[in-house]
Amino acid sequence: MRARAFVIASAASAAALLAGWQLGNAVTGPAATVASSGGTSTTGSGTDASAGTSSGSTTSGGTTGASSTPSTDTTDSGSTTDQAAASGAADGTYAGATIGTRFGDVRVQVTISGGAISDVTALQLTDHDGRSVSISNRAAPILRDEVLQAQSTSVSFVGGATYTSAAYLQSLQAALDAAGF
Amino acid sequence: MAFLLHDARDLERRSYEIVTPERRRAARRLWRVDLLQAAAVATVAIAVALFLADGGVAGITDLAGALTASGIVAGLIATDLVLVMLVLAARVPLIERAVGQDAAMGLHRKLGKPVLYLLLAHTVFLVAGYAVADGSGLVGEIVSLWNTPDIPLAVLGLGLFIAVVVTSLVAVRRRFRYEVWHGIHLLVYGAVLAALPHQFSLGGLFAEGTWQRWYWLLLTIAAFAAVVVYRFGMPVYRSLRHRLVVEAVEPVGPIADGVVSIRLRGDDLERLGATGGQFFVWRFLTRGQWWQAHPYSLSAAPRGGSLRITVRALGRGSAGLASIRPGTRVALEGPYGIFSEASRSRSRLVLVAAGIGVTPIRSLLESARFRPGEATVLLRTRSADEGWLLHEIGELCRARGATLITIPGARGAGWLSADAERQGLSLVQFAPAVVDSDVYVCGPLGWSEAVVAEARAAGLRPEQIHHERFDW
Repeated sequence: MRARAFVIASAASAAALLAGWQLGNAVTGPAATVASSGGTSTTGSGTDASAGTSSGSTTSGGTTGASSTPSTDTTDSGSTTDQAAASGAADGTYAGATIGTRFGDVRVQVTISGGAISDVTALQLTDHDGRSVSISNRAAPILRDEVLQAQSTSVSFVGGATYTSAAYLQSLQAALDAAGF
Repeated sequence: MAFLLHDARDLERRSYEIVTPERRRAARRLWRVDLLQAAAVATVAIAVALFLADGGVAGITDLAGALTASGIVAGLIATDLVLVMLVLAARVPLIERAVGQDAAMGLHRKLGKPVLYLLLAHTVFLVAGYAVADGSGLVGEIVSLWNTPDIPLAVLGLGLFIAVVVTSLVAVRRRFRYEVWHGIHLLVYGAVLAALPHQFSLGGLFAEGTWQRWYWLLLTIAAFAAVVVYRFGMPVYRSLRHRLVVEAVEPVGPIADGVVSIRLRGDDLERLGATGGQFFVWRFLTRGQWWQAHPYSLSAAPRGGSLRITVRALGRGSAGLASIRPGTRVALEGPYGIFSEASRSRSRLVLVAAGIGVTPIRSLLESARFRPGEATVLLRTRSADEGWLLHEIGELCRARGATLITIPGARGAGWLSADAERQGLSLVQFAPAVVDSDVYVCGPLGWSEAVVAEARAAGLRPEQIHHERFDW
């Protein structure tokens, strides 16, 4: 490599690394606040996302927000009934098992209404660091939508969130088993 | 002993050009080389920057975090370098014209082993990092990873990559025919594709919705597009478009030498943009030959819908070339290489060849720009006035005013004959102005290296010395 190429390469590399470092600091800053607000923001955004996408099933009361207090009354009044209430599951809210991953524990809770899955709430999501928090926060609403659509845990994993997806669906399956769904 | 067959040294007139076009052209080309090299290095830095931008450093708080971070960075650099290797091997015109295929492939070869080590480090560090984080032990961690989606595919990719690199180690590579080795080498595309899913599904860095994901995806697509277009698309297109056929096969020198000139004819050949000193990869489409690819230099400057190569039965595949019949269809890849006007840096020219290496020298002599007295041709030949294409070169030298010197006789310690060495002859004595010349060298590898070493010792700068190797 000639001296000039070396200088240009060094300058370009230094610029790229510096920019990356700056962006990294910007990312880890806000991520900490996301982490502190915990699961609440997760379910909040989940409701927002579902309002538009899942075909008229939810009336989105936003009542699912309180992650720590499992409410037994059904959250969605107009929840779907066209998904044939074939399962013998009783209406109610069921919490799943806590699934450990290398990025933190995951636990979800499912709401059965009219024999169908009407809502999934994340009680706990991966929280080891800012990155796993932000990844989980992105993945949870997507998984929730997919589950509501499929009415089962056979849905595809979210890209870049394999661990969250696996644990989320595993915990959900445990909850569904408990519900006899 | 050396024989002066044609003396044009007294024809040189003083040049009043302060900066010759050759120097300007070399300056432009060297800028392109430097920028390309810098760009290749910068992509590595960007790969690391992706990790930093994601706040990756914040995760390094303990041993597990440090191991995991090292593993991720190793994987990022390795994958980036694999893509760089793909582009280097793709015959991209921008790279081709700046450094030539030989130099591009030289770098490609050098990167293979380091990339393999980085991929192994990626695997080992991540398994170890996860095992420490989970406290699950190495075996348990491997089992758990194996059951993670896309990981078995990535492991398959790693296996393919190991196979490709190992078969390319010099000692191993020699055991294979070129075609077998190349067949194995093509598995690398499978390796890269197999390793792709786990980068996007498992790596939180490239999670859905991140700009890093887009950058990485575009980088991968760009590299594969370069391969598809320039490595596979262009040769097929050119072969179909120019409809090359063998026009004549003529023996050169004694029949026993097995040297033949093959003249080829086709449509719109000037559109290939080929020039003297360049080479093509040829496939003669006959029953027994089509699967063999031969890299041969042009032995005459392309003109009037006609190309010519001169070949010697050297490799296992070349032996059958003498029996090629006129009318045989030919597929071609190229033109490749900057053993041509493209790499000129001075107005004076010294062309040095041994044996069948004379072929690109012969075509370069025909198409190079020089004024009478500015060029010298040095040939290692069998005898003073006997050598392949020597007669043609003699005519060109007389017509264009170039000096022609033959150096016959048994091999000495360096690049000269034994008795020329005893006489103390040297490059500088043959071409007194060699220090201010471009030197083009073509011949067997060890011999060429001796010429290059003497040129360097005489004070020539690297951009004045041109040497391409054609063995694989």
